[in-house]
Amino acid sequence: MTERPYGIMAEFRTPEALIEAVRAAKHAGYTRLDAFSPFPLSDLARELGVRTSVIPWIATVAGLVGAAIQYGSQYWMNAVDYPLNVGGRPLHSWPAFIPASMIVAILWAGAATLIGLLLILRLPRLHHPVFAVPGFERASQDRFFLCILQDDPKFDSAAIREVLGAHSPLAIREIPACE
Amino acid sequence: MTSDAHAVTSRVADVPLSPHFGWAWWLALLASGGLVALLGYTLISVTIIGVGVWGVNIPYVWGFDLINYAWWIGIANGASLFAATLVLRRHDLRTAVNRFAEGVALFAVICAGIFPIFHLGRPWLFYWTFPYPATFQVWPQFRSTLTWDFWAISTHVIVTSVLWYVGLIPDLATLRDRARRPIVQRIYGVFALGWRGSVRHWAYHQRAYRLVAILVLPLILIMQSTVAFEFAVTLVPDWHETRQPLHFVATGLAQGLSIVLLVAVLLRWGLRLGRYIDEGDVDLLGKLVLASALVSGYLYIDEIAAALLSGGLAQEATFARMTGEYAGLYWTAIVYSVVIPQLFWFRAARLSTVGGVFVGIAIGVGIWFDRFSIIVGGLQTDYLPSIGRGYSPTLPETGLFLGTIGLFAALLLLFVRFLPVISMFETRHDEHEEKSS
Repeated sequence: MTERPYGIMAEFRTPEALIEAVRAAKHAGYTRLDAFSPFPLSDLARELGVRTSVIPWIATVAGLVGAAIQYGSQYWMNAVDYPLNVGGRPLHSWPAFIPASMIVAILWAGAATLIGLLLILRLPRLHHPVFAVPGFERASQDRFFLCILQDDPKFDSAAIREVLGAHSPLAIREIPACE
Repeated sequence: MTSDAHAVTSRVADVPLSPHFGWAWWLALLASGGLVALLGYTLISVTIIGVGVWGVNIPYVWGFDLINYAWWIGIANGASLFAATLVLRRHDLRTAVNRFAEGVALFAVICAGIFPIFHLGRPWLFYWTFPYPATFQVWPQFRSTLTWDFWAISTHVIVTSVLWYVGLIPDLATLRDRARRPIVQRIYGVFALGWRGSVRHWAYHQRAYRLVAILVLPLILIMQSTVAFEFAVTLVPDWHETRQPLHFVATGLAQGLSIVLLVAVLLRWGLRLGRYIDEGDVDLLGKLVLASALVSGYLYIDEIAAALLSGGLAQEATFARMTGEYAGLYWTAIVYSVVIPQLFWFRAARLSTVGGVFVGIAIGVGIWFDRFSIIVGGLQTDYLPSIGRGYSPTLPETGLFLGTIGLFAALLLLFVRFLPVISMFETRHDEHEEKSS
């Protein structure tokens, strides 16, 4: 392999070991880290600087837009474009337009949350370099992995092995880059 | 914790991944498949011949179509509301029951969706309820509850599916990673969308999951109220009541909880998942079922009180339901949905499999009779003198009802067979927390 690897990956047995290794790597000055675990580790995510507050914003904005479009289209269709006198009731019967507007707000917010989540995570993506690491299938079961990516300014294979090796990993492997 | 976590994953994941599943599952699938065939037959007959094959006629314009629609929607809403509440409260029970509570909700709403489409009479024109620029330049009339219902059902299907699927993604990845046969790996791999368990992804995933759960709460209340509005906005004396949304929401919750309990007890017994759905979980579910049955009881009293206060024809109509030709439906509803669940005051009844199945089915039956009583019993008293015709379901209507039960059972059986019925990542998380505390 002539090109640089995707990164260096260490495998740990417990989440505590992973968290310690992340702290050590950060302490050593590495910034391009990614950790993998079989269940959510919210403390670790916070330490890695993940901020998820964009998700509720996506839902709120999508919900408001959806409600506005639904209310507006109901008004336009029933009061402007095709006014129909039903027993002398007002054409702009706003209370009757509320339920569908609220429901459609939820529809837009829900759909936007899923689509937004996938866009942020850049999923679906059926292949990824980390899948090439032997034993990585246990990241979805009972093993914890820490990866230092090759685009880290301090990336140096030997130094990384030394830092991560101090936290008794089960293995340290190089992740080959792929197209 | 490693060996424990591994044990959880394999115990739950081995179910969908095992190549053999036993004859009982095949037998159950065959039986429900037979009912699905019956559903197909009745749907084709109503499409070709028309709604004349049903027993509905003036004044009984609604029959099994709306009874079963309202009934399935009740199950869907009750189960969704329960699942979403558990996610938001981060309650321990969520790990055990959430996945299939969401599944129950999704399958019930699929069954519910069949009825309004086919009771249109010309089901292939259902898209007329959607506002699209038609050549005849007429728009749907949004002052009608029926158009609200179109949005409510479609939103319910989509948002319930999103909640269920977002929760499933990490577990699908586990199945992908544990599968041995390449074809199985590929199928789960496609649905897992390339999930790799990055801590960053987990953080967004958890946030999105909880957010969709928050969305479900108002959705359920609006959805079930929309169903109730379809009755409340009519001029039928017994239906024209502002208490209808409360009645439908609260009795629907009892019904959803009872079906979740039924499925929980059956899964626990059938898949031997006693360790993950433990006694405490079943006990708590039983208490919730009992509490919701008491609320139903309160609402039946409220119904009488509202009738006494309203007077006139509305009062006459409510009392006609309790004492008239269709009184049997009303009293059956009371016995099954309020009286029988009182068994759950006893701990032994809450914990026993037979007790759970019995009470779970009883509330389902009771609320079904409640919807029957509201729809048919409620229509017998109107401003016009009755023309003396009664309502009784015809064979195609009964077939339609049994068919949706078959469809629900078949979807549930396929779900149990091919997907993890218990959230594996939540279980791993819980065990880790227990270990470290």
